[in-house]
Amino acid sequence: MDDSTKRLFQRLIRRIPSPMLKTTLDRWGRLTAAQLQALDFTQSKWALTEKLLGVCEENELAVKHITELEMIHVIENPNQGMWYALQLMDPQDDAYSIELTQFKEQFKSHLAELIRPVSVKIKKHTDDAVWIRIAWGDGFSRPNHLKPTYVVHYLQSPYVFVTSLTSKQKPLLTQALTQATRYEIIKDANLSGRNLSAIRDLLMRQYQQVFPSRYSNPLAEKNQTVSNVHIENEQAEAAANRQQMARHAFGDGMLPQLQSAVYKLETKFKDQTNKTMTEREELFKCVVKFTSTNLLESFRHSASSGIASTPVTPLLSSIPLKGKNYFVITDNGLGPSSQARQSQN
Amino acid sequence: MTQQAPKSNVCSDRFHLSSTDNIVCYNTVFYNKDIQQNKPEDFGNMEAASTRGVLSHLSLLEVQARSRKTQPEQQSRVVELKAKVEALMVQRDKLRAETETHKNLQKLRLSMDRQGADDEEEKEEEGMDEDSENAEVLHLMARQTQLKDLLDLHHLIGGYDVIQTRQGKGVCVSVATAYQGVYLDTYNLEIDLRPAVRIARHNVPPFVPLKRLAEQSGMQTDLRTFLDLLSQNLNGFSGRCRQLQLVKEQHGSVEVMESNVLCSILVLMFSVPRGRAAFLCRLDYTDLTRCLPTAVHFECTDERLPESPQWKMNCSLLLEVPVHRALTAMKKSGSII
Repeated sequence: MDDSTKRLFQRLIRRIPSPMLKTTLDRWGRLTAAQLQALDFTQSKWALTEKLLGVCEENELAVKHITELEMIHVIENPNQGMWYALQLMDPQDDAYSIELTQFKEQFKSHLAELIRPVSVKIKKHTDDAVWIRIAWGDGFSRPNHLKPTYVVHYLQSPYVFVTSLTSKQKPLLTQALTQATRYEIIKDANLSGRNLSAIRDLLMRQYQQVFPSRYSNPLAEKNQTVSNVHIENEQAEAAANRQQMARHAFGDGMLPQLQSAVYKLETKFKDQTNKTMTEREELFKCVVKFTSTNLLESFRHSASSGIASTPVTPLLSSIPLKGKNYFVITDNGLGPSSQARQSQN
Repeated sequence: MTQQAPKSNVCSDRFHLSSTDNIVCYNTVFYNKDIQQNKPEDFGNMEAASTRGVLSHLSLLEVQARSRKTQPEQQSRVVELKAKVEALMVQRDKLRAETETHKNLQKLRLSMDRQGADDEEEKEEEGMDEDSENAEVLHLMARQTQLKDLLDLHHLIGGYDVIQTRQGKGVCVSVATAYQGVYLDTYNLEIDLRPAVRIARHNVPPFVPLKRLAEQSGMQTDLRTFLDLLSQNLNGFSGRCRQLQLVKEQHGSVEVMESNVLCSILVLMFSVPRGRAAFLCRLDYTDLTRCLPTAVHFECTDERLPESPQWKMNCSLLLEVPVHRALTAMKKSGSII
């Protein structure tokens, strides 16, 4: 193992949290049972890393095995780093019958045509997600395994999720993707977050949405136990209404964890009392950013508690509705792709 | 709530706030000059009072309100009751008219159901000699109840259900899916009808090509065809997913090599008896409205095996019978372990 490989390995082991190290190494399967047993996981990380390096040299492991381990770790812990969603559009006729081996071959060959050398590893996860790890090199140097790009795609779905992709690498990746998936166009889905499972759930609609139904309001049934007969809530009906509207706009139960929403305003200044600003020809540019540990939960709560006015403004409800958290607002309405929606209620 | 009225300009009072269970004693001392007149000083008083606490402020307001009340209100009570009687009589007349209309509606419905939809020109006007406009409205109302009942029935047998939203400007369609008599997921779509027919919100997963289906079936003009097509697609999807689940549950010896989110491709690996041969079976479900595959491919390291009559039979079995049941049959016949 040369120095760069050793460094790669050391960095990787440092990244894997100690409690998970044993199971991850086990799943890797490159150490024999005896070797795994012989390791003392109570020692310091540093000492353990040295020990492991020794074992890897013993087993004559190479870069490709280490990247295997890295991939296993990342697939198990996808909620790190920033993930960006891309959207595929205009499927060709055979897009719906692409199967895994075909996709793998096509992607690898197309990417290799566009840039060499490049190291691509593709793995199918149990939940039908195709994980791709790309280490980029250019004409002069070997693939850089310290800064790989990870791509996640569900075949037959129009979304791709990427992390750690530079602007130089993006056009190469997008071209290879469109060719391999048989779609015409790929563009930014304007959704990003630290939590891959959250942005995936949002786009695949895997959270509990609430729709009008002919059956009685389930909230009324839930809140039937009154805590104290002598306490009457003066605004019970208004509160129930707000809660219903908040649920309709954002959903029920656990919501996908988004960390931020950004609104970029490019509108004309409109305040009659401030002539100087209103008379300017240029657009008034402003960026509003909301951050939270769980943004959708915060919005839902602010709507149901009355902090945000109800009916919920389309500016906020567009986040789950369109699956975006980056918006450009012009004088014509909510961008970037569609017109402003009328209020839902 | 009991309270001692202030007897002098400077007073110290004790107020009892009692409910059925608790008695709270609250001591308050305040200086009130002229409670009966709303002098500016009163507001100063009110501010001073509120700095001493909410309850003291409340008592001050109560005293003010009481001092404003004039004569006893027995007279107004009679007037009140008379007004109530009027209101109740109006309501009774309204209810009478509604019951009358409802009875007529039921009669009309009965005759409509008996005649069937094709005899719509022949309107049996028995006992309905009101002006034709009224009769037409009644007829429309009867037709609406007929359609609502049909929709209810449709929903009961597992089809989609439609309810009105946004005061008639939109509908919410709820498509139930089921497989072999077991209800699976329900998908909802909120559709705007005005100004144009447009899907506003839905929870259909993105790999079901909603837009393409809408265009294919001309959703703008023919909502029903679109809904039927959508219902078929969603039922097909749920059915295939359920089948895959059953295969995983019931047939542990069969390994699922590949599947996809749409459940339109399935690659299984069989263990053949007496075999070192690896047997791969690929099922393609290109017709997304169906739960049965459109094509079956076998691949085996032993090339003669897929050509044997037993496996040719298995091939047609997989095309005709849902996969989990086909596997059970294949196990029984000894083709696979």
